[in-house]
Amino acid sequence: MPTIKINHLHKSYTNEKGEATKALEDINLEIRDGEFVCIVGPSGCGKSTLLEMVAGLLDSTSGEILLDDVPVKGTSRDIGVVFQDASLFPWKTVKKNIVFGMDIAKVPKEEQEKRLAKYIRLMNLTEFENKYPAQLSGGMQQRAGIARALVMNPKVLLMDEPFSAVDHLTRCTLQEELVRIRQEENRTVFFVTHDLNEAVYLADRVILLTPRPGRVQQEYTVKLPHPRNRNDDYLIRLATRIMADIGRGCREDEAAEYFI
Amino acid sequence: MKEKRKKRFTYITALQILTVAALLLYMQYAVGSGKVSKVFLAAPTDIAQKGIKMITDGTLLPHLLVTLQEVFAGYFLAAAVGITVGLLWVFFPKLEEYMNVFCAAIMAVPKTAILPLLILWFGIGFKSKVVLIFLFAVFTILYNTVTGAKLCDTKYIKVARVFEASRVQTVFKVLIPAALPSIFNGLRLAAATVLTGVIFSEMQSAKAGLGFLLSEAQSNLATARVFFIIILVTLISVGFVKIIAGLEYLLCYKWRKL
Repeated sequence: MPTIKINHLHKSYTNEKGEATKALEDINLEIRDGEFVCIVGPSGCGKSTLLEMVAGLLDSTSGEILLDDVPVKGTSRDIGVVFQDASLFPWKTVKKNIVFGMDIAKVPKEEQEKRLAKYIRLMNLTEFENKYPAQLSGGMQQRAGIARALVMNPKVLLMDEPFSAVDHLTRCTLQEELVRIRQEENRTVFFVTHDLNEAVYLADRVILLTPRPGRVQQEYTVKLPHPRNRNDDYLIRLATRIMADIGRGCREDEAAEYFI
Repeated sequence: MKEKRKKRFTYITALQILTVAALLLYMQYAVGSGKVSKVFLAAPTDIAQKGIKMITDGTLLPHLLVTLQEVFAGYFLAAAVGITVGLLWVFFPKLEEYMNVFCAAIMAVPKTAILPLLILWFGIGFKSKVVLIFLFAVFTILYNTVTGAKLCDTKYIKVARVFEASRVQTVFKVLIPAALPSIFNGLRLAAATVLTGVIFSEMQSAKAGLGFLLSEAQSNLATARVFFIIILVTLISVGFVKIIAGLEYLLCYKWRKL
């Protein structure tokens, strides 16, 4: 049974003059339980829009999103979200940020402590619990952002370009940690990125969207078991192939940001 | 914590001290030698003497207390109403739509111009002063609260929505903390202006207060006392702003680079 099923999803925006701009057109997707899916595509193809609709933060113009056969209407605690720049509350310590969702959900204190301890350890945040976000590097902030989503035990984890704001080395470390965590917990992950190497390294399946309006252009299955070597020939060839396909789907200047 | 900057004693500092010393010495000399009449200027020693006398013979304290009571009552009323209404506006945008035009209109009226009306309605005592101080402070606090809450980054609101926080939870756990620096900005600005309001209204019509003492001293041509009260009022104003800034530091310094 698929965890997420997206049927004929459309999204268009209307400006002040009443002209409609199509952002996403007829998206059909099935994401199976425990699958790691990466969405890639040129900037402005509606990747993040799609993620926000799955998160229930944005309404669709038409079509439906089903989570375990139940339509997604508004946000849900079954869906965890990791934002682009971590979006931690600057006035709370790392620990308070991580327990925020559990506080809202009225999780008993003992259970909170247990889960907090587990994810502090898992995300290598030990000794940073009582620091404020401003005192942390971008990478550490995003670890806390991921921990904040995971402590809620969501069925699906949505990640919106979570590593785009950190430096290359930290990004590689975070990717490896994500792979490790996923092997331990086997969660369904819906990951938006514009980094093709990242996509092929992490995903079971990569989905390429076309530029304005976003449509599913192509799907690629990554047939390589974890743990993967990021310099594996197969992965590099796959990334190159996706890169070439992007070039076919849009004008040259838009493909420019995709040099590998 | 911020590293304390060592204050270096430079020749600029020396020059500044010399300037002030020269000014005080000139005042002392000019009045002492009779070159400038005592009506226009006061010798620093005379100011100190008159000040000490006012403190020790008990003429100052009752008036000081009256002014402080008026200021605190008016200011805290303004803070409570300003912050509450500001948050209500964020909660109910329709309320803002309805009230904003009235608030903007009242805010535009020079507060000192309505003092005659306030005296007619509330008398020349405590009440009219509190109302005037309230009007002086409330809009600054209100609009800073609203702006602060509105400037709350949408990403924080999204986080609250993802975790299914209720509207009340979103306001108390996200909007208010995010607006806190801006709320304190309003509180600080208001603290700096309320003394102006209270002294002015006490000078116009009152039976007590530092403003009353000030106008009394002026009509008796007791210029040394005028100087002393001006210095005192300035110190109170500075102290008041410092207290608010200290409170802000306590509540926000850990996460905000002040």
